Amino acid sequence: MKNKIIMFWVIVLITIVSAAVILTHQPKLGLDLVGGSRLVLQAQTEGTSISKVTPEIMERLKFAIENRVNKLGVSETVVQLVGDDKLLVEIPGQQDLKQAKAFIGETAKLEFKKEEKGPNGETIWVPTGLTGKDLSKASVSTDNVGKWTISLEFNSEGAQKFYELTEQLVGKRMAIFFDEDMLSDPRVNEAIYGGNAQITGDFTYEYTERVVNLLNAGALPVPAKIVEENTVGPTLGADSIEKSKLAGIIGLGAVMLFMLLYYRLPGLIADLALIIYSLILFALFETIPVTLTLAGIAGFILSIGMAVDANILIFERTKEELRAGRNLFTAINSGFDRAFTSIFDSNMTTIITCTILYLLGTSVVKGFALTLALGVIVSMFSAITITKNFMHLIFGTGELKYPQLFGLSKDEIGKSYEAVETKREKARFGILD
Amino acid sequence: MFALKRHLVHIVKYRILWMVLSAVLLIPGIVAMVYSSVTYPNHAPMKVGIDYTGGTILQYGLTHKVTNDDLAVTRKNLEEIGIENPYLQILNVNNDQQEHTKQVITSIISIRTKFIDEHSNDAEKITSALQEQFENPELIQVSSVGPTMGKELFKNSFIAVGLAFLGICIYLSIRFRFDYAIAAILGILHDVLFVCGIFSILGLVYNVQIDGLFITAILTVIGFSVHDTIVVFDRIRENLRYYAKKMSFGEIVDASVNQTLARSINTSLTTLITLGALYFFGGVTTKDFVLAMILGIAIGTYSSIFFCSMLIDFWNDKKNSPKSPAKETLAV
Repeated sequence: MKNKIIMFWVIVLITIVSAAVILTHQPKLGLDLVGGSRLVLQAQTEGTSISKVTPEIMERLKFAIENRVNKLGVSETVVQLVGDDKLLVEIPGQQDLKQAKAFIGETAKLEFKKEEKGPNGETIWVPTGLTGKDLSKASVSTDNVGKWTISLEFNSEGAQKFYELTEQLVGKRMAIFFDEDMLSDPRVNEAIYGGNAQITGDFTYEYTERVVNLLNAGALPVPAKIVEENTVGPTLGADSIEKSKLAGIIGLGAVMLFMLLYYRLPGLIADLALIIYSLILFALFETIPVTLTLAGIAGFILSIGMAVDANILIFERTKEELRAGRNLFTAINSGFDRAFTSIFDSNMTTIITCTILYLLGTSVVKGFALTLALGVIVSMFSAITITKNFMHLIFGTGELKYPQLFGLSKDEIGKSYEAVETKREKARFGILD
Repeated sequence: MFALKRHLVHIVKYRILWMVLSAVLLIPGIVAMVYSSVTYPNHAPMKVGIDYTGGTILQYGLTHKVTNDDLAVTRKNLEEIGIENPYLQILNVNNDQQEHTKQVITSIISIRTKFIDEHSNDAEKITSALQEQFENPELIQVSSVGPTMGKELFKNSFIAVGLAFLGICIYLSIRFRFDYAIAAILGILHDVLFVCGIFSILGLVYNVQIDGLFITAILTVIGFSVHDTIVVFDRIRENLRYYAKKMSFGEIVDASVNQTLARSINTSLTTLITLGALYFFGGVTTKDFVLAMILGIAIGTYSSIFFCSMLIDFWNDKKNSPKSPAKETLAV
């Protein structure tokens, strides 16, 4: 009995802590609920010298994309590696997505090329090895006639390369290409020291600023293309939150009502356990933290249905034992004990499928799998430990005086069933004959 | 343990009936899937959405009701500005819960086109076409999937379902017996076929398309279906321990199914209650996902009570047929 009272206070403590966590934390809501964009970028190797996308290239790609996403000035953005050649980019809130997308996906490859004559006398631009990688900084400036220019500052290695290149090209033309577009092709008059250069042309301020931002953020090691997009407006998100809340409350309420009507007092205990279950689960969601998406909430609401399953199994079993004329203590004990293997095995298979969904699924599916799996695990605690503890504390060890409390009638007890146990089980359930 | 004398359902006695019933439930769906595979241009057994085929869906929220005539005008306008074969749909939104928001969305127009990549202006063109036709259309959702992504999702879906089958099979073989695992797997196949079949029919009749979430629903149904089957099998395992010498296998199966009947129905009921709440009150975007789960859980309950237990009894019979063919005389 003493253990049961200690356990009771442990449960009370867990409930209070969970409630405190929920009150002090804000749930992390997914983009489909707050509004925002989720983009998937795929590294492209077509038309490049790279034949295979390596993890190292993906790291560099991620770094460059992260830099650019940060330049959008939106908080709580996410850039994540997905699979072998994809990046997931999440941008909450609403902004000019068209521009943001173009900005993120731009390769931003700056190249210095030199002129050579082809076999038929045409001009061919040949890469010189000097690229955007050799830059330390780019900035917007104006030239002496007030035109917007792009100022480049090379790093020490770049400055050396630039000097050698200009020295070699004195009297010839050199071209600067940005993503295969020629920005300008000045004639080189003399070798340039110091590692500074200016690109002049007919640029608008917007264009100059964009190129400078891209140069500073770094070029993408390989081109990346947006292969998937999901944008949700804030109106739809708010609507989804309202609807999910309503569905959750109605679902939970209806299940609780059903349990109470069908299983009476044990049903009430299960309802209490279900409330504690919801508190613990939400506290977990907020501390881990689990990002709640529409699918995730569906997983949570579904797990309510599964959480009471354990109680239904136990109560059905306990009722059978009571019908067989067992006293309350042994009926409750054997009800829990015998239902346990069913509960454990069936929950394990749910966890197996959740694990597979989590490993293979897209981010939407991951959210669903995680909330459902957490729900199943927490429900093992709430439906077994909490309910059993409350049942023992409330019913004690006596005979069942009021079978109506279990939804049974008096004449059902001890009539139609014959109980069989092995010796070991008798000892475990506390049966004396 | 308890020896049940009064049975509500008879698995062993009406074995043929349950087999026929399963067939009746599955055949229309299978026919629809075969028909779809032959007639659809992409030879899929169900109508598939952009998640699998690639494409872009733009959804606009409108504050007033939209009629089919409006939609015909929209289609004409879109084709004029060079949007090829747009697929248009009206979703009517139940708006009583949104009274507090300033702009009340009454209808949603959903426009599906081929994949719009980041260099195309098609999305802007569509938006301005709608702005000309309607009052304040609000772009509330954009979903876009590249053509290569669909294939990958398709492959991943197959791997996921395959792994789920394998994982469950291994787990059940360890915890129970291999033949129980096979019965459970056949039960899952039964349920998955049913749900896919119904969605194939829905695709033919109402143009319902399956998306990436559908596979999630299927995997959840798989989990639930096994969950249910295990409870029955667990009881059979337990009853075998006590009664193997006193009762025939068929009797034990019948008793076990009846002992777990209340539980099976109640659990499905509570799960269906929560799913029902999600279906009727939850978000528009998850409706089909929830419907797939509702169908799956209903059929999963049926299959674990009637189909899987019938299977293991059937096998047991086949195994012992030379020795004890007297199943009918043993059944109550």
